[in-house]
Amino acid sequence: MSSLVSQARARAPRLAETAVEKARLTLVPTRRTAAPRAPFAVLVFAILGAGVVGLLMFNTHMQQASFYATRLQARADDLTAKQQKLDMELERLRAPQRLAEAGKQLGMVAPGVPAFVKLGDGTIVGTPTPASPEDAVRINPLPAELPPPLRPDPIIVRVPAPVTAQTATQATPVQGTTTQGTTQAPPVQGTKAHGTTRHGTRAGAGR
Amino acid sequence: MTRSRRPVAGSRSRWRGSPEVRLRVGLIVLAMVMSVFGVRLVQLQGLDPKAYAAKANAEGLVSVPLSATRGSILDRNGAPLAESVSGLMIVADPKRTNAHAEDIARILATRLHLDYFDVLGRLREDPNKPGARFAYVARRVPATTARSAVAAIEKAGFKGVDTRLDPVRDYPGGDVAANLIGYMKADGQADTGGGLERSFDAMLAGKDGRETYEVGGGNRIPLGENTEVKPVNGKNLTLTIDRDVQWYAQRVLRTAVQGAKAESGAAIALDSRTGDILALADYPTFDANQPGQSPEDDLGSRALSNVYEPGSVEKVLTMGGLLDAGKVTPRTKVRVPKALPVADRVIHDYFPHDTIRLTLAGVIAKSSNIGTVLAARQYAPGQLWKYLDLFGLGHRTDIGLPGETRGLLPDPSTWTQLTQATASFGQGVSVNALQMATAVNAIANGGELITPSLIQGRAVTSTGNVVGTDTASRRRVISQQAAEKVSRMMEMVTTEGAGTAPGAGIAGYRVAGKTGTAQQVGGTCKCYDGSLAVSFAGFAPADNPRFTVYVVIQKPQGSASGGGTAGPVFRKILAYLLQKYAVPPTNTPPARLPVEW
Repeated sequence: MSSLVSQARARAPRLAETAVEKARLTLVPTRRTAAPRAPFAVLVFAILGAGVVGLLMFNTHMQQASFYATRLQARADDLTAKQQKLDMELERLRAPQRLAEAGKQLGMVAPGVPAFVKLGDGTIVGTPTPASPEDAVRINPLPAELPPPLRPDPIIVRVPAPVTAQTATQATPVQGTTTQGTTQAPPVQGTKAHGTTRHGTRAGAGR
Repeated sequence: MTRSRRPVAGSRSRWRGSPEVRLRVGLIVLAMVMSVFGVRLVQLQGLDPKAYAAKANAEGLVSVPLSATRGSILDRNGAPLAESVSGLMIVADPKRTNAHAEDIARILATRLHLDYFDVLGRLREDPNKPGARFAYVARRVPATTARSAVAAIEKAGFKGVDTRLDPVRDYPGGDVAANLIGYMKADGQADTGGGLERSFDAMLAGKDGRETYEVGGGNRIPLGENTEVKPVNGKNLTLTIDRDVQWYAQRVLRTAVQGAKAESGAAIALDSRTGDILALADYPTFDANQPGQSPEDDLGSRALSNVYEPGSVEKVLTMGGLLDAGKVTPRTKVRVPKALPVADRVIHDYFPHDTIRLTLAGVIAKSSNIGTVLAARQYAPGQLWKYLDLFGLGHRTDIGLPGETRGLLPDPSTWTQLTQATASFGQGVSVNALQMATAVNAIANGGELITPSLIQGRAVTSTGNVVGTDTASRRRVISQQAAEKVSRMMEMVTTEGAGTAPGAGIAGYRVAGKTGTAQQVGGTCKCYDGSLAVSFAGFAPADNPRFTVYVVIQKPQGSASGGGTAGPVFRKILAYLLQKYAVPPTNTPPARLPVEW
């Protein structure tokens, strides 16, 4: 390289010397151009961090949703149960037995003879017949029978028919003593009469 | 930089040694690690895999049975006769509830309408069972009620009361159709106790599922293990029963059976045209919600299981056969003597009379045994048996209920002159109530017998029988003309002044009917012990039948008769049906047949 320069210097006029001097290549210190690592590391950590945080948030969210789902499921179960309970209640209210009891309280009985009114022209089909007590059906079971110890044999008192008003008044105290403390005093007569009729029906039922 | 690194690299490579050495060392380490893994793998999978799997499962893995909902039993209009609701049982740990038993019992008793002392006893520690940590407080409580009661207890600061799943089978009607539906036993979920609940258990029950999942803190872990076998819910069973008619029939029947002090009774209402059973009532019956409170004998249907001699109702079948065979007409004249000796016996009528002159219509209207026996002499040998067999006597109706009796129609080879005579008026042959109703319905349906159905559509019983309205079959038993003639003769029964049961007629309607008062064979002596079965069968409107009703009351005490005891039951049920289904009177002139000559 120095020989080349010397040749050029030999040939070139002195005038170009400065230019040549300027164009001379010299060694420059090597520049270290390593890319800055910090941004990359930050980026990697950021991605990592975001991933972890995202995953964490996703998981938390899932958990939260799971709690919510559990809560909603419990509520749905509860509401379903409530609906079923209401349905049950409705069915009980609709039951023919309850309707019949309600009707009976209003004094209704099932008609013995069907009859219809044609709404179109108002004509009556069938034989309209007023319902009678005979059409009534006992809709409630008979009361359960008492066990024998609680069901003593009825006391039957045969009362001789009064012949005259005088003998009748004489007979009254006798009757009172025979029926085990049954007095014929007017104020209690009503209740006692009830008692005797009940005995009477039981006696009939026993036969 | 390169210059400064070089010495470090040099020292490191020296420390690492040559690549060959490094490879060899790495291989050895790798082989050791892999063999450790291998040993562990053999240990886990080869030696005792199940114990480890179970251990893993136990860790936070919850397995919940998903119970299938049992199908409902519905009536023909969709009203539920039996339905399942999710329920809970309330259980207590007496060890924890003992201290505050009074307070807890007060809350439970008021909220669940239980007996206070009963609950108190369950919450207290039982000296007979020391250390018991489980006690039932209440079973089959609706879920809302149970949860709110337990919540109230927890709010009050008491512990030891909890709930568990306990499905409730609810019968909204109580005893309505209980004889058909059956019941569920309280202690077992799949344990059924008879009736349709048992014969259609496979179809109603469905199939339970199961769900397995991981939990943490009471909540499901979202991405955890999760397997689910979905439950298959049971199918609904729809009956041909009309709930209202069934209820009314049961009440009317109960009133009559109790009034007659009878042993039992059955009432059946059929749709004459389709054979659908609209009502099948039994008394005594039971409350399906509390089957344990009734005697075991009352838990089934006596209409199907009870076998008895039908008596005079059967005369209409005898007459139907005679008319079909062309041997007689309703006006055929019969001279009925006071008594009729047959073989070694003498046959009487229920009413004393001298020799009377009745037409065949009169024989039915007055229910004369002697007249029927005389008429039945027109039959060729074996012919009566053939007709009774065609009418379905001695064959199960197979409607899908368990425990049906076949009845008894003696084999024709064993028939004697006496058998022929008694069979003609319904003694010496045995039936169940549904068989008899079906036979009478054949006359209502113009001589064509329809097999009765209880199930709408089709369903398969647990024993593999296919039943239902879809499988109902029809067969001709007697000609339409013969059936119409029998129907007109039966109309005379409810005609004032002519028949035995004018009280069974409904004003404005043409009602065909027949009374029956049959002697019954006692259980111990195998002879007629004086007990009776009074019955009434019939249909309306007689010229265009819509409903057939059959009522039988077993062993009434005192004076009872088919017309007087069973007749009013028949009339009330029939009137109710005609009104409910809006069947107007046909407005045709009633049958006027001579009964005497």
